Amino acid sequence: MDVCGVSNFNVFPCVNDPYLTQYLFVAVFVLVAVLFPLVPLALVRVLAPRKPSPTKNATYECGLVSKGDSWIQFRAGYYLYALVYVIFAVETIFLYPWAVAFGGLSFGAFVAMMVFVLLLVEGLVYAWAKGALDWK
Amino acid sequence: MSVAYAPIVRALGSETALVLVALAVLTLDFIIGRKREVAKRRELVGAVALFGLALSAVPLVGQVGMTNVLLPGETLVVNPLVIIFKFVLIVLTAVTVLISIDHDIGTHVGEYFAMLLFGAIGMLLLVGTEEFLTIFVALELTSISLYVLTAFHKNSLRSQEAALKYFLFGAIATAFLLFGLSYIYGLTGATNLRDIGAALAKKGTDPLLGVGLLCVLVGLGFKVAMVPFHLWAPDAYEGAPTPVTAFIATGSKVASFFVLVKVLMVAFAGAVGSAYWGAFESGWAMVLGLTATASMVLGNCAAIVQRNVKRLLAYSSIAHAGYILVGLVAASSTGATAVLFYVIVYAITNLGAFGVVAALASRAGGDDLEHFNGMAKRAPFLSLLMLVFVLSLAGIPPLGGFFGKFYLFAAAVECDAEMFGLLWLVALGIVMSAVSLYYYLVLMKHMYVLPAKDETRIATPGHLKMALAFCAAGVVLLGVFPEPILALLKALVVRL
Repeated sequence: MDVCGVSNFNVFPCVNDPYLTQYLFVAVFVLVAVLFPLVPLALVRVLAPRKPSPTKNATYECGLVSKGDSWIQFRAGYYLYALVYVIFAVETIFLYPWAVAFGGLSFGAFVAMMVFVLLLVEGLVYAWAKGALDWK
Repeated sequence: MSVAYAPIVRALGSETALVLVALAVLTLDFIIGRKREVAKRRELVGAVALFGLALSAVPLVGQVGMTNVLLPGETLVVNPLVIIFKFVLIVLTAVTVLISIDHDIGTHVGEYFAMLLFGAIGMLLLVGTEEFLTIFVALELTSISLYVLTAFHKNSLRSQEAALKYFLFGAIATAFLLFGLSYIYGLTGATNLRDIGAALAKKGTDPLLGVGLLCVLVGLGFKVAMVPFHLWAPDAYEGAPTPVTAFIATGSKVASFFVLVKVLMVAFAGAVGSAYWGAFESGWAMVLGLTATASMVLGNCAAIVQRNVKRLLAYSSIAHAGYILVGLVAASSTGATAVLFYVIVYAITNLGAFGVVAALASRAGGDDLEHFNGMAKRAPFLSLLMLVFVLSLAGIPPLGGFFGKFYLFAAAVECDAEMFGLLWLVALGIVMSAVSLYYYLVLMKHMYVLPAKDETRIATPGHLKMALAFCAAGVVLLGVFPEPILALLKALVVRL
């Protein structure tokens, strides 16, 4: 299978191609999407009066003044529960269509699903046995 | 719709065995863990993993007779080329396990070996499929296992940083890959390589193909660490536990290059373009010609100034990705054969080199060049093996690295018999090989010439020496008798 020196594509195609003109819409859309936020910003710069004050620069203009540092340590234990929850979520997503079509499925499909469920259960049991579900 | 399960089970024999063993490894370490010391657990669990790897090679023997079995949609493919590469990957994983048994990998021994096996399963799947969605899933399985393994030195900031960098780069590269695949699917309505190839041949010109192809190249280029998608490599290689580095630099690279060759030669055969001097044509050959140039120049030049052995080998592996790409740019079956041959040689060599680093660095107190001073006196056998690996990487005959590189460059020259259009790339490759000799010899100078601060002998366990000697024997054998395997690969690639 030699493909030495073969080429059938060109990055500078003819723009008259009707297939390509469809992408003109995308180009126009992109242009509008960029201009839409930029134009008001520029208008504000020209039109709005300027009265800067320290309150306006605060992170939350109408909230409490924040105290202390935001670089604090917090418990990461929750992510373990989230991960274990994912096991159930994934299981449900796959079990549901399987259960709906159960009547028409072969024995092989049943075994395949049991293998899949067992693999997930193994993960859950492992996490449980390791103590990932104990809130310390 | 009824699915025939028997052929699927048969085609997935090795992977199934590995999944079972990975779960067994987890359970075993959970049961025996905490009561015994870590070194003992590593030995026990590692032995089970090794046994599992040996077991997973058995189904491959049963598949030898299957010439080209394609399961629906080509999600699973069994042919001799696939079997050879699955076997190579299993051997590489086994050597990695042997290196790991001797290495400090923390207290989560079971998880470590299980992740290693999961990564290996991803690689086996990657090699054994010709369908983009399965390629994607397999690539993710490999990558996620490797991200976790990179972070395995839990208390080392370096390891965490390396894993985070690897993960973030990997996630972005994956996004590119998936985005590119969506374009390709939109253009052709197919996800398997052959149908895509056929659909593109009919379709001809389309700029969207360019976007799709480029995105796919970004995704796979990240995996093989070619410039400009190499930035993760030095940090990940340096920060990861050394056996993991060895696995990233070899197993994952073999599988990725195998997929890259298949994707480009089968699905994108119509979009080759050309990297011939003065006759550049847009297509993947041109893109890879440029990235190969960048990889060879940057990899080799940056390696010169490295003071850390793992970082040095990381840059050297970027440079090697460049050499390998030269074979792909040739876009011929000779080129593809040379690429596959070189990838095997390179993987064995690099695995050996990282294995020696893993064995010596932990006992010499670090992996900077200075820590390797006078190693020839402290660990003569491993130093000798390192000499073999390094000379093979530099491309000195009669070692495997020389012949691998020779075939790569020969394929590039031969590709255009009238004008020698790729001669510029070959010339650059040869010049850069000469540059690489410098930093490889600097490493040798540290090991063989400079005196050590501390002259005590370094004792290493026998199984490690045996595994590394096996790698060195492979390097020498592939250099002295390259013909059989080369002829075999050549015959199989033509039928690709």
